[in-house]
Amino acid sequence: MRLRRRVEVPLFLLLCAFTAVNLTPVGWAVLTSFKHPVDAFAVPPKLIFTPTFEFHYEVWVEKAFWHYLINSVIISASTVVVSVSIGTMAAYGLSRLASRTSRGVLFGILSMRMFPHILLAIPFFVLAKWLGLINTYPAMILALIAINQPFTIWLMRSFFLDVPAEIYEAAEIDGCGSWQVFACVAVPLVRPGVWVTALFSLLLAYNEFLLALVLTGPATKTLPVALAEYGAEDINYWTLSAAAAVGIMLPILVFMMLLQRHLVRGLALGAVKG
Amino acid sequence: MFLIPSATTLAAVLLYPLGYAIYLSLFNYDLGAGIERFIGLGNYGALLSEARFWDSLQRTVGIVSAAVALEFSLGLLVAYGLYRLSFGVRTLNLLMFMPNIITPVVAALFLRWIFIGRWGLLSGILISLGIFPPDFLGDPGWARATVVLADAWQFTPFMILVLYAGLNTVDQSQIEAAAIDGAGAWTLLFRIMVPAIRPLILFVLAIRMMDAFRFFDQIYVLTAGGPGTATETITLYTYSLAFRLLQVGKASALGMLTLLIVAGAIATMIAVLYRREKGSF
Repeated sequence: MRLRRRVEVPLFLLLCAFTAVNLTPVGWAVLTSFKHPVDAFAVPPKLIFTPTFEFHYEVWVEKAFWHYLINSVIISASTVVVSVSIGTMAAYGLSRLASRTSRGVLFGILSMRMFPHILLAIPFFVLAKWLGLINTYPAMILALIAINQPFTIWLMRSFFLDVPAEIYEAAEIDGCGSWQVFACVAVPLVRPGVWVTALFSLLLAYNEFLLALVLTGPATKTLPVALAEYGAEDINYWTLSAAAAVGIMLPILVFMMLLQRHLVRGLALGAVKG
Repeated sequence: MFLIPSATTLAAVLLYPLGYAIYLSLFNYDLGAGIERFIGLGNYGALLSEARFWDSLQRTVGIVSAAVALEFSLGLLVAYGLYRLSFGVRTLNLLMFMPNIITPVVAALFLRWIFIGRWGLLSGILISLGIFPPDFLGDPGWARATVVLADAWQFTPFMILVLYAGLNTVDQSQIEAAAIDGAGAWTLLFRIMVPAIRPLILFVLAIRMMDAFRFFDQIYVLTAGGPGTATETITLYTYSLAFRLLQVGKASALGMLTLLIVAGAIATMIAVLYRREKGSF
């Protein structure tokens, strides 16, 4: 059922206006990141100014944000590798169980997704302190796997369910062991699903803040923690923190392009906020 | 057999810490002073008789319901708008979606730079129009409103996306039949489409409420619970108990209470869902 142009054009303009207002904070931050402080603090706000890359350079190179980027990459990548491999196995196992048996397990897993992260942050902190793991990569990676795993299993399971069970049965009749069925038949069939799950997990790990705030220290700080320390403290560092924030956002835009077809499935299962 | 690695990991990094949190919640455990003394349910008792706990709970419920209500109504309207549009939907959808996927800390800073007193974009615009702006982050009432808006900014796109996907699953013949009978745009939306996707709506509201209830990053960066305790939600209160005052035992008890409250709310919702929508799950 289509609308007539007379209705549709105003509707389109309205939606465009909504989008524009929505994106204003992003645009404003991008503009600020190219400003000298004089222009940034001008009232009324300036739209036309001489742009500078000075602060992007300063924050990423001189203020060592590249170091936090490396931390973020190490932590998120390790999380994804572990979480997605064990999660894929579990999801495959669950997808082959009778639905009555797996339902209980799945609801158990879903309820884990409900845990307030702050409730986990406290024992993580006490245990990590006790084991001397504060400010190390393993503590942060384990914590991220914990909050990542339920989501990974649910998302991967939804991809496995798209595969008809007859394919596995045929492979078993042909004499494949259960491990072979998994590795040679099931995983290749859901390979796109594995990539989607991995990207969503990566996004979740990259965006995580609360656990990183508690478990990382000067040597292992991730980008969100470094930025929060910088940006929330003092408005004098405005242009610098804007440059950092815009830099942190860039990889996410790439994620978004890669994931756009799968956003609904991933997000309904709670990708971004775990 | 395939479940073993995941189950072991979950037990070690999720269930064991949870058990440990329950254990901690029974102690007067103070990391700063080095006290560790078993007090049974003492922490729970202390919290339940404390004004700060009830205030933060009330504030959280207020902020969460305002934010989720705003996100849902706006989300439904925009999703329906997109549904009726025949061109440019993909691009608009993608652009609208951006705020949702940005790192929450980054998003909170972006909004901070809009709302911050004096130099923020909004204050700047108001000043140039000759209006004296309120201190959006410094005045208790405005700060609460800003926190709600910030949550809505980041999560309305999620609502739009899910509801738009839902609207597209509604049976086309039903819509056409209603349209032939002369149903207008609003009648179609509220009489045909919303009832058709009601399970999805309840599901997405439950998810969103659950996540909003425990959300931490944005408020921490925007107001850190201030001014005073004007925007201190239950999660922020737990954080400051545990990591500022180092009263780990009491904070664990508060965390457990949060979990119980959320679990109770979700259980009620599921019970209502099952009764109303028998067989739809």
